[in-house]
Amino acid sequence: MSVMVRADGVRKRFARLEVLRGIDLEVAQNQVVVIIGPSGSGKSTFLRCINHLEKIDSGRLSVDGHLVGYEQRGDKLHELHERQVSARRAEIGMVFQRFNLFPNMTALENVMLAPVQVKGEDKGVVRERALSLLDRVGLREKVKGYPAQLSGGQQQRVAIARALCMQPKLMLFDEPTSALDPELVGEVLDVMKQLAREGMTMVVVTHEIGFAREVGDVLLFMDGGVIVERGVPREMIANPQHPRTQDFLSKVL
Amino acid sequence: MAVSERAPSDGGIAPEDIRAVPARHPRRWVATIVILYIVAGIIHFVATSPNFQWGIFHQFFVFNSIIRGLGQTVLLTIVSMAIGIVLGIILAVMRLSPAPIVSGVAWIYIWLFRGTPLLVQIIFWFNVQALIGQNATVTLPFTGLALFHVNANQLIAGFTAGILALGLNEGAYMAEIVRAGFLSVDEGQTEAAASLGMSRLQTIRFIVLPQAMRVIVPPTGNETISMLKNSSLLSVVGYTELLYSAQLIYSVNYKVIPLLIVASVWYLVLTSVLTLGQFYVERYYARGSSRQLPPTPLQRLRAMWVRNLTAFHATPPEVPTPPTGPNR
Repeated sequence: MSVMVRADGVRKRFARLEVLRGIDLEVAQNQVVVIIGPSGSGKSTFLRCINHLEKIDSGRLSVDGHLVGYEQRGDKLHELHERQVSARRAEIGMVFQRFNLFPNMTALENVMLAPVQVKGEDKGVVRERALSLLDRVGLREKVKGYPAQLSGGQQQRVAIARALCMQPKLMLFDEPTSALDPELVGEVLDVMKQLAREGMTMVVVTHEIGFAREVGDVLLFMDGGVIVERGVPREMIANPQHPRTQDFLSKVL
Repeated sequence: MAVSERAPSDGGIAPEDIRAVPARHPRRWVATIVILYIVAGIIHFVATSPNFQWGIFHQFFVFNSIIRGLGQTVLLTIVSMAIGIVLGIILAVMRLSPAPIVSGVAWIYIWLFRGTPLLVQIIFWFNVQALIGQNATVTLPFTGLALFHVNANQLIAGFTAGILALGLNEGAYMAEIVRAGFLSVDEGQTEAAASLGMSRLQTIRFIVLPQAMRVIVPPTGNETISMLKNSSLLSVVGYTELLYSAQLIYSVNYKVIPLLIVASVWYLVLTSVLTLGQFYVERYYARGSSRQLPPTPLQRLRAMWVRNLTAFHATPPEVPTPPTGPNR
């Protein structure tokens, strides 16, 4: 099985604060990796490093065999040009905590924009794909709605459809349900579960322990910029080994 | 129909509606009477005083040369604003560029054109041939390669000098307005665009600029109104826009006040048209950001009309709601 994401000793500093202090990780193709941990543990930062929204300071991070943000030529690292970074990002879908839909466009326009403008795909083809994706996330009737007219759960489902329309090989979820009213969390998780069952490679930062148990292949617990514990979700949730994991899980369960 | 607890009364007054004697406001009445008295006095003076010479006003309001000047003012405003807006967007993008020279040049431009009086800039552009000579050759810097020859008097005179002066100055102000608009767009938007693989320019074009327009349009409306009035500064270099056309007439017949009123009324008419236009542009860019767009003046009138009618017929009022989203 090929490796989709590989991190070796990834470190990241903001000014003098070191938020990632050596992350080692392998995410295989079709795997769902769930990252949990207290806020400030660096889990969102690590996720943002994977598509180069943040630049790493040391270590190696690669997606599908390509270094993120750099290129190895001989024994030297060359910084990638903005255009190349964009091209790599186009292959990675990302879903944000605050949805970040484009408010000036309808749901359908949100989903269609990038495939048409970035990949230069035919509008008719993209339209069909966008409509079927919106149908899949249960928003067939809302295609003409503007984000302000949609509920949080609906907005997040549009955001997932928008990322999927680029036909990514990897999906990153940054606390996708944290900004939602409790009764809306389920509809977003259902879409993500279906996506996981279809074999999408996913890295999910979340507080939804139930989701981790149900669809996660690997569960990571991060604290203080390192991965404190990792394992099979069901076992780890039932029987955490590290005291900090035990402490965290006792608070969120 | 099932029995509801408190059925809404159809047309009549619901039992719990309050009918109270309204509070009296004697001081408001006094103030109203005093103000009406003063306003009536002013109107009476303006209308009847022979010094205003309304006959002269009437005679020159649609005078040929006044209308020609009006056309020049409108044309100057439109073209200079267009230059200013395009230049402003370019300068704003430059100022936000990561390359220090690019943003530095934009900064210096804004510093120079915002830091010197518009009147000085106008006089400068109308005398620029003194700087480059009658027949100038534009060369590629440091190479001596001739790009093209210009006749300064032909190229930079009259209309061209006018729009250069007004447009280049406006660009500096518009740049700051556009930049403020860009900064008002949430960072999550650019991140979302980046995560979809969009380039910096694509992000500006499709994501940032359309959203920034909501912040950019109101001050741009102000700028357009200022531009309309600032174009009268061109009268000092003898450009026959609206004010100078009026001045040419009163320099002959000495009817200064009536002709200034002619010009002023035209400025007011144009400003009113611009204000109305601004409302519709703002409404257009508000789509998607608010659930319900504000009603247009026409819709408001219709709603008022319907409300009065229904009140008269004592049927439940049904105010038509404007459609949401763009109505094209």
